Amino acid sequence: MSTNQVMLEQPAAGFAPGAKRLLASPPVLKVAAGIVLLCAWEGVVRVFAPAYVAKPTGIARVFFSVVSNEQFLAAAGATLWAVIQGLVIAIMLGMAVGLAMGRVTVVERGLRYYVNSLFATPMIAILPLVTLWFGYNADARLAVIVFAAFFSIAVNTCDGARSVPLEYLEVARSFRARPLSTLLDIVLPSSLPYLIAGMRLAAGRALVASVVAEFFISIPGLGYYILFNSRTFKHNEAFVAVIALVIVGVSFEAVLNWVTRRYLPWARRD
Amino acid sequence: MVSGAGRRFGALEVFREISLEVGEREVLVIIGPSGCGKTTLLRCIDGLIPLTAGEIRVEGDRVVTPREGVTMVFQHFGLFPWKTVYQNVAYGLKLAGCSSSEIAEKVPKYINLVGLSGFEDYYPYQVSGGMQQRCGLARALSVEPRVLLMDEPFGAVDAQTREILQFELLRIWDMRPTTMVFVTHAIDEAVLMGDRVMVLKGRPSSVHEIIDVDLPRPRDRATLSMPRFAALRERVWSTLMDDARRAEFEVKR
Repeated sequence: MSTNQVMLEQPAAGFAPGAKRLLASPPVLKVAAGIVLLCAWEGVVRVFAPAYVAKPTGIARVFFSVVSNEQFLAAAGATLWAVIQGLVIAIMLGMAVGLAMGRVTVVERGLRYYVNSLFATPMIAILPLVTLWFGYNADARLAVIVFAAFFSIAVNTCDGARSVPLEYLEVARSFRARPLSTLLDIVLPSSLPYLIAGMRLAAGRALVASVVAEFFISIPGLGYYILFNSRTFKHNEAFVAVIALVIVGVSFEAVLNWVTRRYLPWARRD
Repeated sequence: MVSGAGRRFGALEVFREISLEVGEREVLVIIGPSGCGKTTLLRCIDGLIPLTAGEIRVEGDRVVTPREGVTMVFQHFGLFPWKTVYQNVAYGLKLAGCSSSEIAEKVPKYINLVGLSGFEDYYPYQVSGGMQQRCGLARALSVEPRVLLMDEPFGAVDAQTREILQFELLRIWDMRPTTMVFVTHAIDEAVLMGDRVMVLKGRPSSVHEIIDVDLPRPRDRATLSMPRFAALRERVWSTLMDDARRAEFEVKR
């Protein structure tokens, strides 16, 4: 659509039409905007800030030494592993609870308010309590991740299981499907798009939970790496860890998109 | 066989005192103005919803839940979007406890019967409405039912596809005749398909008239131009239309 509009417009005076089209192409725009932002950052830091404040050239300078540093890799691995573990636990529990809530009225009526309230609660708030229960260790971090991710999975799976079209259930009943077969063969696949949406949300929340837990508990991980390097005025190094977190977040998103495209091609239309 | 069947939803009585009997390999068409409960009656026969009065027996047994040997083709097709055409057709067989070799033998056979060969691996959203209903038909036929319940099966496809599918169904029925209860609101379709046409009328509705359709089988496009077809069509039309007009202008309160 945008290219169409560009084609229809009169070429502006002084610009060759070819140059104008080039500027309007999405990849060129993205790169151009990125360069402008980086230059602005670099400029502002150079003019106004002390030398230790992170700036693009500084980050570029330390980037390779940081990403090949053993301590950094261990930190990144610890965070990633904790988030994956937490997500797997949250997905298993969340799906079980969500399906039960979605299909069994008694469970739904009993739990709905509590699950919804906890879904709306920022789970970071319970971090100090969790450290009392689990100690200042990786278990506490895992617990916070699970808490943060669980409710978005449960709520979404529940919504998915509740919104299974009645037609599907009618067909299943007409073909004399047993309740378990209906659950696994109809309700579960029908709620998968909702589950994926829940996982998208959960992955983001889990990452936040992990980083904040590491800030607070001081256990090895990207969060703690950022905290430690910031406090020792190594802002460029700290920022490399931020970039690593961005990559992790974007990768989760990409994996979920790929799974949707590959295994749920039908879910994109309805 | 249905005797003295009645169904009410709370204060709304949909139909009352409906009695009918469908013989083996007979096609009974139920027609009536919209909202007269013909689809509800069909769901009762399938055992999907219970009657509030009277009883329904299939092959001598009282119907309380869906039973073996009776399958339904739905107006909404009822295909599962996450299953391919093949998997959708296999669904009924799988639930009927067929072995995988039986499924591998029957599914292609029925997919071929409804003319969907080559589209086994497509998902429902990728094929047209007509093809979706062919798939729904194959799924119902694959379990080799003795009674086939058709709930306005061609109601959701466009007029031309509808005609094609009507003649396809006639062709399939001629190949393997089964008892069929066919709900429709299209008069042509009713006369073309049925051995008898049962007209439901009134509120709550009841059997107004049963019209014998003495058109020869096999029926095909030529049937449509028979004078007898026109006469029967006219007869169903006149029984139905006064009420249909009234139903159209009824205001819901």
